[in-house]
Parts: sequence; C-alpha cells; structure tokens
Amino acid sequence: MLFCVVSFSQTTVKGKITDNTGLPLPGANIVILGTSSGTVSDFDGNYALTVDQDPPFSIRVSYTGFEDQTIDVTSNNQTVDVTLKEGNALDEVVISASRTPERIFESPVTVERFGLKAIKNTASSDFYGGLENLKGVDINTNSLTFKSINTRGFATFANTRFMQLVDGMDNSAPALNFPLGNLLGMTETDVQNVELLPGASSALYGANAFNGILFMQSKNPFDHPGISGYVKRGITSQEAAGDNDYTDIGIRLAHKFSDKFAVKVNFAYLKGTDWYATNYDDKDMVGGTRESNINYNGVNVYGDEVTTNLKAVKENPAFLAQLAASGISSSILALVPNVDVSRTGYLESDLTDYNAESVKADWGLYFRPWANDFEIQYVGKVGTGSTIYQGAQRYRIDGFSLQQHKLEVKNDNFFVRGYITSDKAGDTYVMDVLGPNLLNAWKDHGTWFGEYVGAYASATLGGATGAEAHAAARATAEMGRPQEGSAAFNRLLDNVTSDTNFLTGAGFKDNSKIYHGDANYNFGDLVSFAEIQVGSSYRTYRLNSFGTIYADAEGPISYSELGLYTQLQRSFELNESLELKLTGSIRYDQSQLEEFDGFVSPRISAGLTVNENHNIRASFQTGFRNPDTQALYIGLQTQAGTLIGGAKDIGSLYNRDNMVSQFAQDNLGQTAVINQTGDAAYTNSFSLNSINNFIDSQNPVDIQVGNSNFVKPEQVSSFELGYRGKLNGFIVDASAYYNLYNDFLANERVVAPLYGNVDPDGNGSVDLTDAQTQLALAALQNGDVVGYQTYTNSEETVNSYGAAIGVSTKVFDGFDLSANYTWSRLDYDVAGNPDFQTNFNTPEHKVKLAFGKTDLFKNLGFNVAWRWSDNYFWEASFGNGEIPAFNVLDAQVNFRVPTLKSTIKVGATNLLADEYFTAFGTGLIGAQYYVSLTINNL
Amino acid sequence: MKNIKYLLLSALALGFFACENDELDALRDNNRDDEIVLPELTSGGLDFSNYIAVGPSFSAGVSDGTVFLASQNNSWPNIISKEFAKVGGGEFKQPTMDDNYGGLSLGGTRISGPRLVFGGAGPVPLESIVGPVTVATDILNPPTGPFNNYGVPGASSFHFVAPGYGNITNLSAGLANPYAVRLTGSTPNASIIELAVAQNPSFFTLSLFGGNDVLGYSTGGAAVGTITPLATFEGALDIALAALTANGAEGVVSGTPHVTDLPYFTTVPYNAVPLDAATAALVNGAYAPYNGGLQAALAALQGTGLFSAEEVAARTISFAEGQNAVVIEDESLTDLGAINPAFAALPKIRQATANDLLVLPSASFIGTLADPNNPTSVNGVGVPLADKWVVTETELAQIITATDAMNASVEAAAQNYGIAYINLQPILAQASSTGIMFDDYILDSSLVFGGIVGLDGIHLTARGYALMANSFLEAIDGHYGSNFIASGNRAKAGDYPTNYSPLLQ
Repeated sequence: MLFCVVSFSQTTVKGKITDNTGLPLPGANIVILGTSSGTVSDFDGNYALTVDQDPPFSIRVSYTGFEDQTIDVTSNNQTVDVTLKEGNALDEVVISASRTPERIFESPVTVERFGLKAIKNTASSDFYGGLENLKGVDINTNSLTFKSINTRGFATFANTRFMQLVDGMDNSAPALNFPLGNLLGMTETDVQNVELLPGASSALYGANAFNGILFMQSKNPFDHPGISGYVKRGITSQEAAGDNDYTDIGIRLAHKFSDKFAVKVNFAYLKGTDWYATNYDDKDMVGGTRESNINYNGVNVYGDEVTTNLKAVKENPAFLAQLAASGISSSILALVPNVDVSRTGYLESDLTDYNAESVKADWGLYFRPWANDFEIQYVGKVGTGSTIYQGAQRYRIDGFSLQQHKLEVKNDNFFVRGYITSDKAGDTYVMDVLGPNLLNAWKDHGTWFGEYVGAYASATLGGATGAEAHAAARATAEMGRPQEGSAAFNRLLDNVTSDTNFLTGAGFKDNSKIYHGDANYNFGDLVSFAEIQVGSSYRTYRLNSFGTIYADAEGPISYSELGLYTQLQRSFELNESLELKLTGSIRYDQSQLEEFDGFVSPRISAGLTVNENHNIRASFQTGFRNPDTQALYIGLQTQAGTLIGGAKDIGSLYNRDNMVSQFAQDNLGQTAVINQTGDAAYTNSFSLNSINNFIDSQNPVDIQVGNSNFVKPEQVSSFELGYRGKLNGFIVDASAYYNLYNDFLANERVVAPLYGNVDPDGNGSVDLTDAQTQLALAALQNGDVVGYQTYTNSEETVNSYGAAIGVSTKVFDGFDLSANYTWSRLDYDVAGNPDFQTNFNTPEHKVKLAFGKTDLFKNLGFNVAWRWSDNYFWEASFGNGEIPAFNVLDAQVNFRVPTLKSTIKVGATNLLADEYFTAFGTGLIGAQYYVSLTINNL
Repeated sequence: MKNIKYLLLSALALGFFACENDELDALRDNNRDDEIVLPELTSGGLDFSNYIAVGPSFSAGVSDGTVFLASQNNSWPNIISKEFAKVGGGEFKQPTMDDNYGGLSLGGTRISGPRLVFGGAGPVPLESIVGPVTVATDILNPPTGPFNNYGVPGASSFHFVAPGYGNITNLSAGLANPYAVRLTGSTPNASIIELAVAQNPSFFTLSLFGGNDVLGYSTGGAAVGTITPLATFEGALDIALAALTANGAEGVVSGTPHVTDLPYFTTVPYNAVPLDAATAALVNGAYAPYNGGLQAALAALQGTGLFSAEEVAARTISFAEGQNAVVIEDESLTDLGAINPAFAALPKIRQATANDLLVLPSASFIGTLADPNNPTSVNGVGVPLADKWVVTETELAQIITATDAMNASVEAAAQNYGIAYINLQPILAQASSTGIMFDDYILDSSLVFGGIVGLDGIHLTARGYALMANSFLEAIDGHYGSNFIASGNRAKAGDYPTNYSPLLQ
C-alpha cells in the first residue's frame, strides 16, 4: 500500500470470527465503535485491523443473522476471536422502512430483506430471481434477463406502480417508466443487501413507490475492498427452444487507497437464449389454428392481426377497377362470403433470434476527506442488453442502453444526491408492429386481399368447398412470400425494423432522460426527544423519442416534480415489558403540470413490542402516483388505433392529417385532408363500446359520448396490521392489509370524428337532433374517424386485500426450514364493469417452502426451494388469459474451498422441468442448470 | 413438540383454500366470449329409422344437367339423412351412378349426355373441356335396391303412380323413364310409389311433386305438351300420400317454386340484340310490309272487335340503334288469316317485352343465321324466334296460376294427412330478388355466379341443395317439434360447393 497514510500511532487487532458451531464466518463486519473504520473477515473468518487509535476502544462485530457483539480492545496486537451467537431473521437490520437503520423486528411496516446469506444460499440462478422466494412477492418472467416484480397486485410487466432503487438511484428507463428488472441493475458480487417494501411508501419515497419498492445496496469499497467475481455456466432447457448454453460472469474490483479514497469497478456479462414464446393459441376462437380458422390470430404470431371482411374487398373501388381491367366480371364476387379473413402472420421466432444478453458496468470514486462517515461519491453506471419486453405489444429490446451518473454527498445523518438517467432504444423494435408492416412491405394488404378474393372466386367456380376455396385463396395470395430467414426476408426485416414510423416500420427511437435530486437530513443526533428526518426530491423528465413514442415530434417534452417530506419517530417505554414506537411521516408533492394539485400523503404507524419477543404493528399509509410519462404524453399511431396520453396540453403536441372519405368531400363539404389534434379523444369523441353496442342493436340511443377525462394522479390508502415474534422456536412474521385505490389509472377506447361535434352543449349525452352531432355521426358512418386508446382514471374505487405469514425454524439439528403463505384478493365489482381492466394479475394463494443447511458436511451446504402458485387470470393490454397453477422446485448444492476463497455451486431451477408461465403471451419458463464459481464474495 | 411444528406448517399450506373467489370467476366470465350454448338435438318423437325420399330431379340430386356420383352425394335428401342419422336415422341408400360424368347409356349407346361444367364464361358441355368421355352408367346394369331415395328426374306427378314407368320395355314407346328403370329391379311394373311404400318408410319426403307438371311444359317455351290438369295432379298426389302414410309414417311435402325465379328463364334478356342505325333501318324496311299489313287489317276490321289498336301497337315491329327486343312468335295473337284470308301473310309475331321469358338455350340461338347464306336471316331479328324459345307473358300467367294451384293442393293435402308442408316458392323468390343469406354467403339465383342454381339454370348447386335441406329441416322442426335448426344440426354453406370441377371423374 504505497499510498497509505503514515500514522504515528497504530493499533492492530486480529482474530477469527466463528459461529457457535466453530465454523468460520467470512464477511463479518468489524467496526471500531464510534468511527467508520473497520474491516471485514476473510474467507476463513480471519480479520486484521490496524487503526490510528490507541487502546482502549471497542469493536463491534456483526454478521447478518447473528447477534452483534461488542468487545473491548485493551492492548495492541491483541487477538480477539469472537464467537457469534446465531440470531434470527428478525434481528437483521433494515434501512428502507424508516430511512434509518432498525431491526426488522421493530420495523413499523412490512419489509423483506434479502441479504448476503440469502444470496449465497439461493437456489435461483441469480440473486434477483431469488427474490421470488420472499413472501408477498410474485415474479413475472418476461424473459430470461427481464423479470418483473409484483407486490400487492395490479402489475403488468410495465409495473409503473413499483419502484427500484439501486444505491439510491431510480433505475427505471425514462422512456418506459419502469425498471427493466436487473437487466441494467447490479452485479451479483457487489450486492450488499436487498430490501423490499411491499405496499405504499410514497410518504418517504414519493410518487411511484406506490405498491412497493425494491432497494439494492452495493458494497462500499471502503468496507469491502478487494477483487471478487463469479463465473456461471449452464444451460437453459425449454421444449420450444431446446437446450442452450448460457454464461454469466461478473467481476468486482474495489480498492481502498486510504481511509480517504476508494474506488470500485464492476463488470458483468450475461449471454443466453431466451425462452421462446410459442403460444400459438387463437386469440379469437377456442382451439383455432391457421388451418382451421381463416381469421386466426395467434398469440405469438404477428401480422395476422391484419384482418378484413371480404365484403370490404368486394366493394373496394380500387380492387373493382383492377378486376375490370383484367376483364373479369365483378359478378363472380357473389360467390365470395362476407367473412373476416386475416393475413398469414409470422411466428415470433421468425422475428427475433431470442438472444438474451446483458452487459453492465459501473464505477465509483469514493472520497472521505476526513476519514469519517462524511463521504463524497461519484458513481457511473451503464448497461445495455437484449431481451423481450411485453407491454401492449411484444418488444424485441435489442441494444437498449441505460446510463446513470450520480454525485452524492453524505454522512450518517444526511445525504444529498443528484443523478441523471438516460436511455437509448438501440435497435429495439416492436414485434406486433413489425409483423403487419413486414407483410405490407412484402405485399401490401390491398393486393394480398385482392388476390385472395379473386382466387377464392376462381376456386369456387372450379368446384371447391368453402374451406378448400379459402385454402386455395390463401395459397395464391401467399405466393412469392420470402422464406423466413432468407436474404430477401432479412432485407425486408432490416428495412422495417429500422423504420421508426409505426405505420410502416417497427423501430423504436428514444433518448429520454430523467434528472433527479434527493436530499435527506436526519436530526437524530441533534434532537433527543424523537428522531426527526426531513427530505426533498426534485425530478425533471425530458422525453425525447423523436415523435416515435411520445408526442414529441416537435422537440423534447420536459416537466418536473417536486416533493418534500418529514418523519418523526419516537419510542415510549410504557413499562418494563412494553415498548411503543410511533412513526409519522408526511410528504407533499407538486407536479409542474398545472392541472395536478399538490398532493399530501401521510403515513402513521405504531409498533408495540411485548416482552422483547413480540412486536405488533399497525399502519396507515397513503400513496399516490403521478401518471407516468406514457400516460401523459404517449402519441403512438398503431394499426390498432392511436395511443394518446392524457395530459391537458396533448392537443398542442400531437396532431395528424387524416384522409377524408370521398363521400364526405362530395356531399358534406369536407376537405380532402383534415388535421386532428390529440385532444380530440378527450374533447370530441364517442365511446367505442357504445358504438359496438349500437352496431349490435342498431338503436342510435346506444351511442354515447366518449370524451375521456384528462388523466390525473392515482391514489392508494393502505391499512396494515402485522405481527413479528418468536413463538416456541418459530419465528413468525405475519401481516394483513387492505388497500383502497382512487382515481385508478386505466385506459379507455374512444373514436373521434374528423368533423362534427359529438356533444356541442357539453351535457355529456348525444343529442341526435343536433346538426353538429348529426355531422359527427355521419363521420362515423363514413369511417372518417380516428380510434384512440386514452389514458384516464376510473371513477370507481378499486380495493384489494391480502395477508401473508412466514414461519421459519430449525429442524433435525440445524436444518433451516421456512414456509410462507401469501393470500391476495381483489375487491372490485368485476362483473359490473366488464370494460374496465384492473390488471390485478395476482394469484389468490401462494405457498413457498425452503429447506437447507449451510453446513451439511464440512464446507458443503445445500438449499431447496419450492413454490406453489394458485391459478389466476392475467389481464394486460397484450392479451388476457388464464395462468394455470404451477409449482416450481429449485435446488442447489454448494461446496466451499477456503484455500481458494471460492464457492462452487451446482444448481437447477425448475428441477421438475414442468414448464410454466406467469403471464399471458410470454414464453414458457423451462429449467436452468448451472455451475458457478464465486471467488472472494464475502 | 415436533409434531405440532409440522401440523402448523401444513395448516399454513391449507389455509383459506376453501374460499370462493367471485372476482376471479367474474374476470374469467368477462373474458369468455358469450358462448352460445345450443340445445341438445331432439327428434320431436319422429322415427327416422327408415327415411324414404320421393320426388323428381331435385330429390334425385340433379345438378348441372344430370345426375352423377358427387351430385347424388349432395342431394338434399342425402344431406338431411345425415342429420337424421344423429337421432336414429339409418343408412340412406341411393341408386348411385357409376361415375362423375353423369348421363345414361342403354346397352352402350348414350341416351343422355354428361354434365355441364363452367367453361370460363358460362356453362359448357363437359366434353368440350376434357374431351370425349364414356358414359358408363348403363340402365341395363342397374344398381341393386332397395333404395331410400326414389328420386326420378323428369317424372311428373302422375308418373309416380303409374305402373310400368320403370319397365325398360316401355322405354321405346316413351312410356318409361330410364331413371325409373334403374329403380325397379325385379318388379319392373311397380310404380315408384309402390317401390317406396314397399320399403315401409318410417319417415318420407315428397318434394316438388308437381315440378315437372309445369316445368316440362315451361322449359320448352310452353310450345309442346300441356300443364298437367289440376285434377290429375291432385289424384296422383292423394294416391301417393295415402300409400306413404298408410303405415303411420310421418313426412313432409313441398310445393314447387315459380319458374320465373329460375335462371333458365331469367338469364337471357328480351332485348339482347344490338343494332347500328343502318342495320336497324334495313330491318325496319324488311318489316314494313308486316307493319303496313297490320294497319290495313286494323282499318278493315274496325268495329268488328276482332282486332284492336292495342294489339296492333304490340305487334308493330320497330328497331332502333342500340339494344332491341327480339322478334318472337306468339300463338296467342289474333290469327288474322283465319279471319280474312287476305291477311294470311301476316304471321303471329311481335317484339318481346320484359314480361316474356327467353329460355336459356336461346342464348346460343339468338343472333345466329337461319340461312347461313342470307345475312338478313338473323334469328330473333330477321327471323322471329319460334315458340319454343320463349315463354310469353300469356303462357307465363298460365304457368304461375297452375303452380300456385298445385301448391295450394299440396298444402291442403298436407293438412289433410297431418304432415309437414314446406313452400319453396318464397325461398327461391327471395333468392332471385334480394338474395338469400346462407351462413356467410349471400346467394342469389343468377346463373353460374349466384351460387344456388347450377349450370343448367334449373337444378340446384350442392350449396343450393344444402339450403334446401335446411328448409326441409326447418319445416320438420316447425311441424313436429324437433330442433335440427335450433340445435345447429344442419348443413353449413361452406361445406357444399357451388360447382363441380371438370376434372372430377
């Protein structure tokens, strides 16, 4: 250590940390009490600490899952061997629940911790996947590299109600508004601690910490210097994809140059093959196939969304002119039925190579100018990856990159941090958009359907039955289709995926940014009657998708949000065996968008500790979330209609020219092109549902005004009761909650006429006698309308409730056995609101069991985890469908090699190889078998 | 102590499981398409174990001018027999032809030709596309009975009850029908009804019983033969129904559609002759003596009431540039020569109107030269069309009246015998006017492209027969309380073609 600061007075302490069975505890923390100096025990449990301090002083030894010990050091070169007494999960320290360290046991709200020991022992293929074994947590698997956490329900893969903080940085992609799992997150060997708060915690963490928040904390290079890393190799095994290799490597380099300066660099790389999504079920007809249903629309088949009624083809003037030109009598069209026919789509596997890749790196400079707890850090992170994301469509995320830079100043009592997050879409494209546009690029839809109808009629005249004629018609229309994977096909594919106009292409372009600032001060050291914290956050969004997703064709859209909060926490010793801890927090948020009022979210909680072994907690929390960027400013034209954000100024940001029917030009005095602004969906539209009702009933009274309300924040109030404690050798953690959601954010479908006024007097009902309304109805009749999916709020209150209980104990002399059960229910009039989707997406029952032993034999440990999930019904914009119950068994055996400071782990996930899925539309999740070597991960 | 632990753990796993989850059920309901649950099929107490079909060509399954294997397979009695089979119906045996060419031979000599096919624009003989074929179905080698389908193409009402109609020895005298010959087997003199009754039917259909009684007359332009007198028809009908119901069999009888709804009569327009001004003037010049003669006759017969100015107007022939009505013979016109031999040179001709129906074969006759060496002898222009090419307005009125009368008789008889009745006339009338919806198809009665009537302009396509089969099922449902239609046990349009490929052998 050339750069070591020369000290005049040095004391060295060394020793070995073991547990009560004599096994060494690597990675235990040894800290000089009252300072931030300390070290960590090595792989054999040995430590050595040299400090510029004369004895006597005290060191505190702590290790997750063990009770802390404080030992006095009285002389230099003293050997202090410490045997730690195994504690239990309740003694683990969490920070997130109150923004201050506290034992889980005393935490005022439900909190889950996934610490180093859990990471080491997890049978999942990585630590992020291991979170699935926590109670109250569902993992929705989008892709091998993109898992999405769902707590308390109402989550699609775009879980905008959930937040993920990596060393204090929100790591959601600005363009998407939700975290891409661990794709751009943290390297495994750098993970110090993961905490998860299910439930609303906006009072402390602001908007978006709505249904839950995940904290990932990395290892500080001052406390954890050195080189560590892992190599994981294995196969993924899925029936559809076969067996494919995957490799996951990571390395962490941390160096402490002195007590004042340390650096850290992490790098991780994962490459594998994604789960193939091969659900070819027909979305429209039970049991339908391409062969049996002429209007087949397969789940993971794209392009077959293009469908038309042959009647429309028969009446198409261009087609009729073509027919006449080729000398064919249009009377042959009488033989063609009025049925809906879809084009032959592409299988998802034709449109993606399913390459799953993740490359992430981060680096940090840490400076402690006074060698104490005051620290200045700069952290940079960059991640890029390829995965599959399923939103309203299936996205091939390819080369998507996220960059973050953070500056933070902090000590034990405060922090101030600022960071910037920016994303780039890379070569990402949307497969559902690609399919139709690829077909159109090969043979335009008009030609294809024209050929179809012509061939149908010919085949019929040649003696074909209906089914035979459809088959012949499809074969004719399909002639000349480039073979998937051929050079011609790939050329088309490249053209369409690089085209970012969704009417012709499928590419996705984005360079959005988030600027975020946070500050927090804990008055704990200054005020003694209670622990008081104050904090604030400020965030600016800069949406810049070049008009491809957002209504930002004219230039980036920027807006800001400000939040202020304070928290008071005080403990009361009621008597010798009764301690009451009260926490109150309140947060005020204000969006720059003028239409949103400032919002106050309070939280109060009480924890009562009885006899030190039982803690009963109760809390009332509120959460709110501002509409996400997409809900505000999306402006995305797709084949299925236009997605239009609900911000009040959307009209000034989004407009499109629309062609007007010849009839309206000739008879209604309309121009050939009418420009419509995006606010038409909110100010001059019919409800699509009512139009459909009208089509069925032919009763004009059924037609109703659409005019979605502009979007506003969503709110949740959450009541929670919980118990933690030790009961006859069992450690129990149980909780129950009831959530009430107001102004639930949802989508509505409307159609906006190009001319006329749906509701001139604004009374909310269609006046069939009004001339302007009649004109609007004429527009509807002439097809001079634009279909929109709006973002708006439900007027109905949506409720949910649930409970969870976790029990752990030791059995058979030292084996860890734990079990938890989670119960979740939606409380909402589903039958009465058939058009409204809550996307609850959560099984009613979940059971998870884990069984293992750290030291079955010397240096050999194992862990087995089993999960069972009840069936549930998945709802999301991509599609709805039943998710059957599944059970999954993961297992690992690990062998430690102390001489090499290494652990070898052999594991398998989904060992029963019973493929399952957690969401409608994704690939089936197969098995993963792996061997990993982890070096020096203390 | 340990036991308690495991009990606790397993209790965990079992907790709450018994609860109902209404929201989840409602979610599933919302996402389930409103499945239409069709009722179970019931026969309405009918016994379909031995179904016998009797009738002329429609019953036999004639399509495109003849009977052949595929058209028999798609005969409407065969189609409904498949539905009957679901509720106790037995095998439905038809007197199958030998091939898909159609036509008949007698001892190797062709007595009727193979079927028509679509030739790219309209109906053409099969052999014009695929070359000469051998008509293999020989009436000397009839199929072995007994049958379930006693459909006899070309038979009129009285033929069904006539003994010897299926006796080959009567063939040369024109007293037998070659199709009937194929059915009689060892009882050559048995009438068709006797053959049918001998099968002891439990259920029967007697369809278009009077079809040929009017059709045979109409297809020839009402030139030869007569419409069967109503009394004869009623007599035959009563004999047939009495015999068929004698053992308590239930059944359904149908009326006959109007010929005006068949493309055989509606395809050829009355004014299909395009002329330029010069030709029109030339033709008018040729008819000037006839037109002048009419005027002279009118003047001569004034006041006698024998010849009216209206008739003169109707008979006056005038061509102009553009589309012109053809000139036709009309025997209902006043026979001026009979009144006064001086007018014997004035034939009974006039130009056709929209109310005259030109028969389908006239399409290939109009415009040809009667005398190949005389360019003014254009048939329909210079040379009037003979009676056989046209059903005149007067003849048509007789045909409609007779059809309606027979249909009324059939309906009355059905009531009398307590069996079901179906009136096919409105169904075909709808097809010929607005078109008729059959599943996803809108069928109409236009030739070739309408989808319902085959290439001969009279008999139905397979899809047309499927529609007809459904109409019968509907009638049975209505009368007997079965529910073939409501339970979805019916023919689907797409399963039945509108054409038969020329390559079908």
